[in-house]
Amino acid sequence: MRKQRTVFLLLLPFLAVTALVLVSVWNVLVQSFGYIPAFGLTQPTLSYYKAVFTNPDFLSALRVSLKIALWSAALACILGVALSMALIRLKKTRGRAVYLVRFPILIPHAVVAVFMIQLFSQTGLLARAGYALGLVEDYTRFPQLLYTPGYGGTIAAYLWKEIPFVAYFVLAFMGSISDSLGQAAENLGASSARSFWEVTLPLSIPVIARAFLIIFIFAFGGYELPLLLGATMPKALPVQAYLAYMNPDLRQRPLAMAMNGVILLLSILMSAAYWYLVRRASRRMEGSA
Amino acid sequence: MKRMIAFVLACLMVLPLFGCGSKAEEIDLTNASWEEILDTARGTTVIFYGWGGDENRNNWLNTTVAQYVKENYDITLEVVGMNIDDILAKLSGEKQACASSGSIDMIWINGENFYSAKENGLLWGPFTDKLPNMAAYIDLEDPETLNDFCMPIEGFEAPYAKAQMVMYADTAVTPDLPGSSEELMAFCQANPGKVTYPALPDFTGSAFVRNIIYEICGWEQFQTMAADYDTVKAAIEPALEYLRQLNPYLWNEGKTFPDSSTTLDAMFSDGELVMNMSYSPFTVASGIADGIYTETTQTFVFDNGTIGNTNYMAIAYNSPNKAGAMVVINAIISGQIQLTQYAQLRELPVVATGKLSAEELAAFESVDLGKGILSQAELLSHRLPEMPASLVPIIEQIWLNEVVGK
Repeated sequence: MRKQRTVFLLLLPFLAVTALVLVSVWNVLVQSFGYIPAFGLTQPTLSYYKAVFTNPDFLSALRVSLKIALWSAALACILGVALSMALIRLKKTRGRAVYLVRFPILIPHAVVAVFMIQLFSQTGLLARAGYALGLVEDYTRFPQLLYTPGYGGTIAAYLWKEIPFVAYFVLAFMGSISDSLGQAAENLGASSARSFWEVTLPLSIPVIARAFLIIFIFAFGGYELPLLLGATMPKALPVQAYLAYMNPDLRQRPLAMAMNGVILLLSILMSAAYWYLVRRASRRMEGSA
Repeated sequence: MKRMIAFVLACLMVLPLFGCGSKAEEIDLTNASWEEILDTARGTTVIFYGWGGDENRNNWLNTTVAQYVKENYDITLEVVGMNIDDILAKLSGEKQACASSGSIDMIWINGENFYSAKENGLLWGPFTDKLPNMAAYIDLEDPETLNDFCMPIEGFEAPYAKAQMVMYADTAVTPDLPGSSEELMAFCQANPGKVTYPALPDFTGSAFVRNIIYEICGWEQFQTMAADYDTVKAAIEPALEYLRQLNPYLWNEGKTFPDSSTTLDAMFSDGELVMNMSYSPFTVASGIADGIYTETTQTFVFDNGTIGNTNYMAIAYNSPNKAGAMVVINAIISGQIQLTQYAQLRELPVVATGKLSAEELAAFESVDLGKGILSQAELLSHRLPEMPASLVPIIEQIWLNEVVGK
């Protein structure tokens, strides 16, 4: 009994924070069904979800966000794994090189957006350098790399942060596989490429998949990069949802909440996938031990 | 353990079901005399929420206005800078949480935000008939005293300052300034990629698009138009066509628009754009005085006029100090404070010229606002009324659907 109480007390701060989050989530859900008595909305209805899924702005925003998440996560994983393998091959799995890799992970996303604007906008450093060298005759001729409806600038900004994240995330695991089983394969006569493709990479897939999901969920729900580097139309889903939330007509609030409901649902689905992967991986570990 | 968690969860679920309890007012303000209100307000603190992006205004509020109300009424004025969307979100959050005593006394507000806040019971009133300075300084028959974006005010807000849409450019770069929508088209064609406006629903961008609509479709029909997407779209179709034809000559060919007027200001100062716009008619004078704009920067309006509006001060429905808020609002609409607002902030005053004493009038006329601007008389003779607030979000949505990237 006493032991149980200690456990409860230790858990209390965590439970308090979780309770707050749950209250907000609950509020979002209740309001998304059109129940806000303070604004005279008292009839729970599914019509806001229906409205959201027939709204072309919402659908294009959903497409944009899925696209940003998919490209950022996929490219970050491929290039991050390559970076990680390069570090392993160069025997730089600790020390200065790793600190250098960790650096971009520490930079806030909003600051990365400012970097991108300073570098790549039409009045940015690159455009000015091009103008000074006589490569472009006028800054309006410098190609518009940011603010495009394709969201290339946003994806590039995510990559700048997430490639090092993937490299760092998989480094220890891939390093140990490469040093043990990969080395064994090479001792038995496999080429280093073959040992990578057939031993190290396949065994590291669960870790890479987890990195993929983390980035995917983050980029899918990310607000500041698509806001600062994105196009006027279509907008990313979180930007669209915030705009709907800020609509001066307070009776439109349930529409914004329905959008949040969709973001929530997709995030929960992806978290479930993550949990499933982790559980399967740890079972396998136990099995092999 | 599990039972405890279940209990916590169960408690959470019933939370939103509780209704609001009401709380009795300390004194009955609607029947109180002005002296009683002054007495109640003495020694209190008034919290004023409003847009905080203008350093000069923040300074003016924190020094000139704060000192005035401290010395005359023993009221401490606290100014909190926040965007109006966030203020309303905060206020509606308080309403949903049934907070009977809130954290906001006064709000700087107008237009569709006033409309929505009043509709949803977020404002307290009517109160302006209680303020002695309303009758003493304000033209009570002025349409802008009676209606805010065509929405009847009914005593729920008092005027704060007048604003008017202006455009400006550096005459050393572009000597000919457009005086109409056709001339603006030619101006953009002559300076491809160097003109744009902030993406709607930015306040300034939205006003600019409404101004283009007035240029092309006239302004009268909108004063009584039904707030219906298809009606509005049919009415503004010629203006939409004009904006689409303008797109190829705009920055980034109209595929994207800068996210805010702040971004536009930075792009204009950088020389990336050759034209800028503002809802503060004397902003160029401040810009030249601060060295942000060149001496040759000049303000202009369309010959047919530009949209003007008044912004106002309202009181939150759950303000813990309504008496104090009324006293501060009464002070701000006085001739003395309006004069400091005109002189220090270069804002169009809300006081009626006919109600000023000869002395006060002379003081207003002796103010030198600076370079690059149009006179108050020129502005007021080119002033068009705002649209009904309910049309504004509809036009913003239509613009997103029909103009961007088209």
